[in-house]
Amino acid sequence: MKKRNFKKNFLIILSIIILIIELFPIAIIIMNSFKRDIDIWSANPFSFKPTLDSYKKIFQRNDVLLGIRNSLIVSILSTSFSLIVGSMASYAIARFKFRYSKALSYSFLISRMIPQISLSIPLFMMFRSLGLTDTLIALIFAHMSFNIPYIIWVLLPFFSSVPLEYEEAALVDGCNRKMVFWRIFLPLVRPGLVVAAVFAFIMSWNEFLYALVLTSSQAKTAPVVINGFMGQYAPQWGQLAAAGTFMLIPIFVITLAFQRFLIGGISGGIKG
Amino acid sequence: MATKGRKRIGGKSPVLYFILPALILVGVVLVYPILYAIGISFFNWPLVDEASRGFIGISNYVSIFQDAEFWNSLFLQMGFIFIAIPIELIIGFFVAILLNREFKGVGLIRSLLLLPIFVLPVLSGLTWRLMLQPGYGAISFLLTTLGFPETALLANPGTAYAAVIIQDIWRMWPFMFMFIYSGLINIPNSLIEAANLDGARFWDKVIKIIIPLLRPTITTALLLRLIDALRIFSEVFVMTGGGPGNSTTLLSLYIHKQAFRYFNIGYASAMGVVLIIISLIIANFLVRRNMEY
Repeated sequence: MKKRNFKKNFLIILSIIILIIELFPIAIIIMNSFKRDIDIWSANPFSFKPTLDSYKKIFQRNDVLLGIRNSLIVSILSTSFSLIVGSMASYAIARFKFRYSKALSYSFLISRMIPQISLSIPLFMMFRSLGLTDTLIALIFAHMSFNIPYIIWVLLPFFSSVPLEYEEAALVDGCNRKMVFWRIFLPLVRPGLVVAAVFAFIMSWNEFLYALVLTSSQAKTAPVVINGFMGQYAPQWGQLAAAGTFMLIPIFVITLAFQRFLIGGISGGIKG
Repeated sequence: MATKGRKRIGGKSPVLYFILPALILVGVVLVYPILYAIGISFFNWPLVDEASRGFIGISNYVSIFQDAEFWNSLFLQMGFIFIAIPIELIIGFFVAILLNREFKGVGLIRSLLLLPIFVLPVLSGLTWRLMLQPGYGAISFLLTTLGFPETALLANPGTAYAAVIIQDIWRMWPFMFMFIYSGLINIPNSLIEAANLDGARFWDKVIKIIIPLLRPTITTALLLRLIDALRIFSEVFVMTGGGPGNSTTLLSLYIHKQAFRYFNIGYASAMGVVLIIISLIIANFLVRRNMEY
């Protein structure tokens, strides 16, 4: 009996040690956001007096506020548009048999795997010739290239699991397909829509490469602004950490609130 | 599958109504750019010097094979993939088994372990860069406290490459953990209990029950990781910028350098097309296993 208890306690302690090691870098970034730069540069990273200096500084800076604003606009609009057209397409794939439907859904899924760097070059050239470099419109469209295929696939299992009876009853009542979809079907799959929206939002919120290539000043998103804190000579670690910590808030809220959907969300309709 | 709404001639079918908006948008932001990249990859296309632009056939693709820097980045990429992903799998696997038991607070531990997956890649790269700064970074501090000599780990090619890999392992073993744990909880307890009654040891259970049952889950997770690891960019870009020298210039970083630092748009596009082809070959395996719709 004693031996069993010892083993059990050992495993619990081991789990806690793993957790501490894993969360260490996150703790470092949050900790440094409450330090003055002078304390960050000091020899011992673990002794300091917490202050809100860095937070005060970043919220007085136009570029940080602009970056956060741009990140919000791009993430919300790209997610919204992708959710509308993605849910429509997903419904078509889930509910209709039509020529090329297999090929089409296959193409949508596989298009998520296209490397961003390969797309960033033609997107840069396209938006350059349209005069849309450094605009939020360019970023919103660029983000749709990964959000639409992603949403179509995340929604499929949700859509397929809805019994046909609801729609059939409504069709008998004289609604047409379009009305059925918007009024009857979408409210039924609200949980799926929320999951799709949440993960599409995170992907946009975290996205860096397109923002790096397609923006230069006015349309910079927060990740690009944060990277800018590295500067030419001396990195401003305190402000970098404060802006970074601020950007982590929605991520952490979402991750902890959507526990049950993480797997489905992250694999995007691909089942194990 | 519903068979309502057959396609009718005349374009008024509801299918088109539902599918067309997505098709048009994906055509604009995905299909057209891919075709554009393929087209431009057959041209010499410096961004600024417009006079020297011209069709050069497959010369760019030939140049890729003669480009030592490309082979270097491909080699680094392969190393990155074959070191990081197996380690992520092994850690994720054993932590999943470790946490597949009930004790006070285990649910919270399982949730908190998933946080690194969703941390902004940029922030992850910069945090590791901060922790590895000589003189004041947390990891440097811990290493010198343990008696290691003070070194700038990101200024040395070998340790910088190792750091980039460790950063990825830190971020992504929880991804493996999440997949494997979700598979573990679906293994019927009766199987494990029967094995226990037969006096099966830990390794017997792992090799005879867990691995065979989780094989599809693990394969899917591995393929997803493989596709992501093949195109990794942001974390490495902000952590090392591809340096010191070319020691951490992975494929995406090299393509980015050719396109946006040297402005060889045609040549960079050709490499981008090669990367698309490699990704699609892997993706094809993944998708074929999962097409159920």
